[in-house]
Amino acid sequence: MKIIRMARHSLRMMSRYKLRTGFMMMGSLIGITSLTFVVSVGESAERGVNTMLSQTFGDHGIVVMAGGGETGGPRGTATRLKIDDIAALAKEVPGIEDWDPVQTLTTSVRHGDASDNARVLGESERWPQVWNRTASRGDLFDETAVTSSARVAIIGETVSKELFGNDDPIGAEIQIGAVPFRVIGILESWGTNAHGMDRDNEIIIPISTLMRRLTNVDTISQAKLVVTDPDRSDDTKAEMRRVLRERYGLTAGQPDGLTIVTPMQTRRMVSQVQRVMFFYVPIVAAITLLVGGIVSATLMLSSVNERVAEIGLRRAVGALPADIRLQFLLETTITMLIGGLAGIAFGYTVAQLGAIQMHLGGVNPWTAALLGFCASTLVGLLAGVLPALRAARLHPAEALR
Amino acid sequence: MIELKGINKTYKRSSGEPVSALIDISLQIGRGEFVSIVGASGSGKSTMMNILGLLDAPSQGQYLLDGQDVTTLNVNRQAELRNKKIGFIFQAFHLLPRTTALENVELPLLYSDRESTKDLSRKALEAVNLSERIHHHPSELSGGEQQRVAIARALVNEPDLLLADEPTGNLDRRSALEILQIFQNLNSAGRTIVLITHDQEIANYAGRMVRLERGHMISDNRIEAKGAVQEAL
Repeated sequence: MKIIRMARHSLRMMSRYKLRTGFMMMGSLIGITSLTFVVSVGESAERGVNTMLSQTFGDHGIVVMAGGGETGGPRGTATRLKIDDIAALAKEVPGIEDWDPVQTLTTSVRHGDASDNARVLGESERWPQVWNRTASRGDLFDETAVTSSARVAIIGETVSKELFGNDDPIGAEIQIGAVPFRVIGILESWGTNAHGMDRDNEIIIPISTLMRRLTNVDTISQAKLVVTDPDRSDDTKAEMRRVLRERYGLTAGQPDGLTIVTPMQTRRMVSQVQRVMFFYVPIVAAITLLVGGIVSATLMLSSVNERVAEIGLRRAVGALPADIRLQFLLETTITMLIGGLAGIAFGYTVAQLGAIQMHLGGVNPWTAALLGFCASTLVGLLAGVLPALRAARLHPAEALR
Repeated sequence: MIELKGINKTYKRSSGEPVSALIDISLQIGRGEFVSIVGASGSGKSTMMNILGLLDAPSQGQYLLDGQDVTTLNVNRQAELRNKKIGFIFQAFHLLPRTTALENVELPLLYSDRESTKDLSRKALEAVNLSERIHHHPSELSGGEQQRVAIARALVNEPDLLLADEPTGNLDRRSALEILQIFQNLNSAGRTIVLITHDQEIANYAGRMVRLERGHMISDNRIEAKGAVQEAL
């Protein structure tokens, strides 16, 4: 096969010009490294954000938060959001199927000598269906436990490991702050969310118990309401705000300090994240690669100028213009491809380390690898076209002069 | 084997003014001849070499190689003919740097469809007495040795015609004579050789001398007492 013979020959020729080949490979390596990095980290981050959004909001959830900021932003002055307010919403606003109030507290938890700093979530007995989360072992608490402020806890796996090691925690007693609780179940594992928060380092207890025995407050930090028709959620949101403002006796123009997030908004957020991940970020990488391609094309052009006599000789001993073209295309493409393969490996390694640092899930290398392979081949071909055409156009007699 | 009929070659200067490099050249070279083409610089001998080697086309006239009119062939067919029928030897050797003698000799085979390229190249290097140096780079070889590598490269495809353009121009006298000895041996074995030189003495080692002056062919003589390399050495 002529092309294989030519490829082998091109490889040999490239190895003769190590410095130039090295610089060209660097151009490709840097471009493909950044491409692989942003694509694989971007993918992983997007997956993380999507998981977090769907875990927090689901398809049908509207979340009401005390505090005026956007989700994730700083909380403003807390409105006195209470359980009764949410109960009133459920009653007065049509299309609300279910709801769960939440108040949280981060505090130390102890069992014997072992201790852990955990996030304690006070919730109603309806949390499993509202948040789509459940216990993997043991029991859940019921309505009676909530009305009687029972001291029962469902603990996450990290808490279990910190306090009990390999022992079975179910039925054991733990101290949350200064208050003793009985462990009745183990939470299904969730892992770390996109904020880097370990969602297994959590404890769920009845909200009444948390408010009366641990924090002594009568407000809640947020509530999630499940709606029957998510497409109508913008109307539902407006209606909710109206009802709440009426209950607070606010006049028009007075700020209510409430944040209400609907499924429509989360969908818009997700698509925004996707636009950034799949459009702008690869563009940045593509620009890097373009620069690498231009550098390679320039180096290759100067190589053609340096090798005019060689090209003349090749023509004299029988190379067709097409053979010369092929040789220079192959030299550029193979160089860029080798640089690109190294860039895939390097970018993947950096992405993997970065993902660990940023508490993202595992990085999937295949999309980025395929993209890197195609991109470096394409850039190599494009960078090689001009030098190859120029080399093939040389007149043999003039080239040999 | 070679038949030139009324060959003219006109170049255009950058000023646009035409310059005649070859004027009405008609010449026949038979198979197995050893012909030298002599002339001062500007006599048109390099143009002659380019036309004979199918590296350039005449402006006028006909060139028959083995009875085939080659002036009308396209570039690809000409390249094929160069590969199969013509071996080139240049004053500047034109060896690929940082490439072994063996790989240099293999180069014409890259563009042919012949197999076992290593064996053929090795055999060609043996023919010029360089079997000991096949893995040396040009920079590790003397001028004479480099030119012998170039001859091996010209021979590797077993062409009918060897075209040598000032092959001894960059060599000392002794190396030059060695190269001429190789040419005479190849010629005795039946190879057609055209040697282009400005040096009357070198030209005398051929069997026939064609003299060019300002684009005209002014003489064409058989050399009765061909130079003997052994004596000169």
